[in-house]
Amino acid sequence: MNRHDANQFSVSPARFVALVAIGAFIAAASLTCSAIAEDQPFAKSLKPFLAKYCVGCHGAKKPKSERRFDNLTGEIANDDDLVDLQDMLDQLTLSEMPPVDSKQPSSEARSKAVSWLTARIAKHHQARKPTLTPPTLRRLNSREYRNTVRDLFRLNMTMFDPTTKFPRDQTSKHLDNNGGALVTSGYLLAQYLDAADQVVNRAIKPLKKPAVQTWTFRDGFRQQPEIDQVHRRTNLFEHMTLYDVIGADKHEGAYGPILAFKEGVPFDGFYEIRLKAEALNRINPYDPKFLGLDPNEPLRLGVVAGDYLVGPLHKPQPIEPLLAEVDLADEAKWYTLRVWLDAGYTPRFVFRNGLMDARNLWSKLLRRYPKQFPKRKRPGIVEARFNAIKYGKLPQIHIHEIEIKGPFFEQWPTPSQQVILGDDSEQILESGEISEQQIRARLTSIATAAYRQPADLDDIERVLAVVKQRRLSGRSSLDAFSDGLKTVLCAPKFLFLEQAESNRLTSTALASRLSYFLWSSKPDQQLLKLASQGELNKPDVLRKQVERMLNDEKSDAFVDGFLDAWLTMRDLGSSPPDRGQFRDYYHYDLGPSMRQETRLFTRHLIEENLSVLNFLDSNFTFADKRLARLYGIKPPKSDGFQRVSLNDRRRGGLLGQASVLTVTANGIDTSPVHRGVWVLENILGSPPSPPPPDVEPLDPDIRGTKSIREQLKKHRSSAVCNDCHRKIDPPGFALESFDPIGRWRDNYRRGVKVDASGILPNGMSFKDIEGLKNILVQQKDQFARALTGKMLSYAVGRGQDLADRPHIDRVLNAISKSDYGFHELITQVVLSEPFRSR
Amino acid sequence: MSLIHVDRRSFLKAAGVCVALPTLESLRQVSSSGRANAALRDSSPRRMVCIGNEFGMFSGEFWPKTPGANYESTALLKPLEPHRKHYTLFSHLDHGLSGGHFAVHTFLTGVKSSDARGAPDGGMSLDQRAAEFVDSRTRFPSLTVGSESGLHGGCQMCWTRTGTRIPPIGGPRELFRALFVEDDADAKRLAEDRIRLQSSILDAVLGDAKSLKRKLNAADGDKLDEYFSSIRDVESKLSLDRQWQSVAKPKASMDEPVNLGLAKDLPKIYDLIALALQTDSTRVATLEVGGSFVARDLGIRKGYHALSHHGHLPENLELLVQIELYQVEQFARFLEKLRSIRQPQSDATLLDSSMVLFGSGMGNGNAHTNFDLPVVLAGGGFRHGEFKQFPSAKRRRVPLSNLYVSMLQQFGVETDRFSVSTGTLTGLETA
Repeated sequence: MNRHDANQFSVSPARFVALVAIGAFIAAASLTCSAIAEDQPFAKSLKPFLAKYCVGCHGAKKPKSERRFDNLTGEIANDDDLVDLQDMLDQLTLSEMPPVDSKQPSSEARSKAVSWLTARIAKHHQARKPTLTPPTLRRLNSREYRNTVRDLFRLNMTMFDPTTKFPRDQTSKHLDNNGGALVTSGYLLAQYLDAADQVVNRAIKPLKKPAVQTWTFRDGFRQQPEIDQVHRRTNLFEHMTLYDVIGADKHEGAYGPILAFKEGVPFDGFYEIRLKAEALNRINPYDPKFLGLDPNEPLRLGVVAGDYLVGPLHKPQPIEPLLAEVDLADEAKWYTLRVWLDAGYTPRFVFRNGLMDARNLWSKLLRRYPKQFPKRKRPGIVEARFNAIKYGKLPQIHIHEIEIKGPFFEQWPTPSQQVILGDDSEQILESGEISEQQIRARLTSIATAAYRQPADLDDIERVLAVVKQRRLSGRSSLDAFSDGLKTVLCAPKFLFLEQAESNRLTSTALASRLSYFLWSSKPDQQLLKLASQGELNKPDVLRKQVERMLNDEKSDAFVDGFLDAWLTMRDLGSSPPDRGQFRDYYHYDLGPSMRQETRLFTRHLIEENLSVLNFLDSNFTFADKRLARLYGIKPPKSDGFQRVSLNDRRRGGLLGQASVLTVTANGIDTSPVHRGVWVLENILGSPPSPPPPDVEPLDPDIRGTKSIREQLKKHRSSAVCNDCHRKIDPPGFALESFDPIGRWRDNYRRGVKVDASGILPNGMSFKDIEGLKNILVQQKDQFARALTGKMLSYAVGRGQDLADRPHIDRVLNAISKSDYGFHELITQVVLSEPFRSR
Repeated sequence: MSLIHVDRRSFLKAAGVCVALPTLESLRQVSSSGRANAALRDSSPRRMVCIGNEFGMFSGEFWPKTPGANYESTALLKPLEPHRKHYTLFSHLDHGLSGGHFAVHTFLTGVKSSDARGAPDGGMSLDQRAAEFVDSRTRFPSLTVGSESGLHGGCQMCWTRTGTRIPPIGGPRELFRALFVEDDADAKRLAEDRIRLQSSILDAVLGDAKSLKRKLNAADGDKLDEYFSSIRDVESKLSLDRQWQSVAKPKASMDEPVNLGLAKDLPKIYDLIALALQTDSTRVATLEVGGSFVARDLGIRKGYHALSHHGHLPENLELLVQIELYQVEQFARFLEKLRSIRQPQSDATLLDSSMVLFGSGMGNGNAHTNFDLPVVLAGGGFRHGEFKQFPSAKRRRVPLSNLYVSMLQQFGVETDRFSVSTGTLTGLETA
């Protein structure tokens, strides 16, 4: 950060925001600010203080960080001055300046300076009434597009994603809904045209209700070339056999496809799968640690979808959501599962808690238990596999019979058809024809819902022109009408939010802003109705709506969207842990569990309106058995996620959660620098400046026994580096106690001991992660401010703004009364002026 | 007249791909459009191929010790020895950026995507700038192939003028289909109908946008301009599609290839790119060696990313260099291929008209740096044969964009700048 940046702020808002973010934390003093020292003139109060403690470094000659305080007048003439004073205030309250090794002011002198600055800045905001930067017109991002078409047409999106070909949305400060960063290109518009086609076809078809069919499979269960031979010799394909988990490396028996049904189901819809399955060798003669399986856990069968056109059905595919799962009894039994399948997809069976890397396991098993197997005649995988399967007792799932029946529809006409065709849907589907009058009425209704505001007559006329043209080129009335719907999905009023016609936020626009904040989707009937009645703007109405919306499961989109934007959760898995080092991550499918923990934890804070300080440190979390094992804590008794109390405080709060610890590592090793920057940026809201370009980079060398910390020491001995690294490294050091997937460690792999202690720039020191958290909790205001700023930014879809500061103060003031309740924070953000104005 | 010389049989065998090439005559008869005809009048088209990977090249085995024409080859450059006269190696070129994995995507743009809006030409990538120039003279203004994703997004090499990434075609199968597989009559009719429908949708939404714009303030109006220019882009894409609908694709008599993962597919993809250039299906191609390039497919047990964080351990370096060497070998094989194809009615080879850039947006993967990028340029009518060392001192550094300006000029684009360039690249001459 430097003056150059600050001077540019009017032309470069993105960089300016960075500046503000750095300067954007003020301490408790400002919240409870009383106008103490404003009557004290600058020359008598702050100026001598600056001269004594600051100007030494920040004077006329080579000012540090390019900041000069010798020529300040105490006036705030422009935003540069404001940033200077705010930064000064922040540094003083955090005791980060003056540096610990320089002359320190007495605490009285420090607090006097803080008061003066606080009052001066507050006065400035009052006098200036800074204008908030309105969010720009912004297009829906991919998430919002997906959710909006889902809600618009009541589509089942289990397996349908019309946005897969959209270019990835550009983020800004990790936000995926910053209007400025979301660009529209010809490439994207071409994808919109295709997506509209897919969406409308899926919503309106099939026109005739398909008859229910039944398919039965009793034998001939070939699965994949690698294991066909052994199954031919051992069971003649009489049953399907599952060995591996899907996280295995070279899958053997990880996916059980029905090759005779590879073309899949003929229609989208619900299908009933009846199957006779058997769980073998749950109790087995092998060491549970050797297999990595818990013999007390029932074997669990899952169903995922597959498309043979995408690739072989015995291998992973890009779209394979888990459609159902069931715990199996040991003996053969019938089970019935009901799953949604899209046309062309075939169900495949998977072993949720199966073996890991069976292909390697065959030989390992033989080597480990040589007496239980016939002597090997020749080396190689073929015989090893045969012996292990023929004579071994490895846990496995057999499926003896499968019956698939469907499609079933919960309603007919389908919910989508009812939305599109309205009350006359049955008659229209019956006849295959739709009248001109109906076309106009239906298009108007759908365009109004899609545009989230009443559609203009002109808008409708233009859509009707498309319909007419399509009729002229020989399409049926229903087809031509569908083409009209596709037009609606490409219209700017559908694709863009925040189409302000004035500087006032209309109540319909407020409804959209609210629903895209909490649902990442279009407003529902109730919101639009309240908006049209002019009720929505009332604080108590807003408060109730926030409550209602957060109780709706659509608000999962908020939890996910906000965690992505705030904690970079979307990057979890983008730097996959190394298979060699972190087998458990793949064996137990830990990625989704990690994400789920943070999600449930956040959800719980919302539901109970618990303090946001739980994010810093907490005496509970959520864990399933697998995560509990990773953490080394007592696993919950039942399956799935449970709230668990933490007696051991190392895990409390975000900094103990595996999701955070994994996303801040690169899958190979950890870096205190990387994690430290992450903490400064996302937890404390004070990202450090990027390294100067001419600095020698850290090129990790692990040949010796030097820890990363020792390698950093050299780096920090340079004054230029140390300026930032004294802030960055300490929180990173504390997190060194966790490996790249969040497991506790006392030593690095090469036996070097972890040193998790550190000294913060303000001189406070800690021994380990618990110590750091204690300090962070004391700095709760800084954390709460950072969180609030981030949320406001996410809520309105723009970067943080200098003028947000007094509003953030107000929000903080309000929530401090409810012990920083998270639910209340969300409500206060909605009630804040920036959220309710353009 | 034939596109290729007598050694076409041997070339096709070497390619492992067998195609029956369309004659220009047949193109001429089918094509009624003026623009398509313009392509055929183009007597000496220029071509460009850009290849990038995610993690760079291990510097210890990549850079020769001394500059000039007599540099001693290194382990990683060995496969290029037969082409020594046909390529140039450049050191100390980069974009002056940092960000590790998060800046790899700047390889062909010189700016981070987050700063693209303020950048000249919207942070558009080198290949797309060239593709703009080609316009509709080929069926595909450009082809992007390779990994859709990778570490923190992967290579992400191709960016449009409006700052949107163009995702690549994933594998040889899809590339083959795009190049050679003709739609059947029904599919063609459907495609034509779809073009008609999309054109009328665009007419309607253009009207929407115009009426909306009247109500917006200036800032929002600017934002909506992106939508207007998008409409124009798609309109011209549709007219291009329409025009090429009536031109037959070149015929391929081989079966569709199967995708086996990028590491194994690399030779096939290079072959297909060579064919795409040879058949003038495109003149601009990009290859992203990212997340779908899995070291395991080469029989290496450790992960590619893990190895790039080698920590200077010899056992890691050995494997890392093995992976990188494979990439260089395939690149060398591609050059071989281009050199084996004769241009019609001349002594020149396809390589002479094709500038091929090979490198990465990552300088040192172990240190996450984005400076001193590995950069090799082959063919394209430049004078080659040297290791050109540029100044490493802070204030005297030369931007990589200067090389891109030289390449664009050679390509025929009338420009004297690209991204953060300060001129053309001194010392790079045309042959």
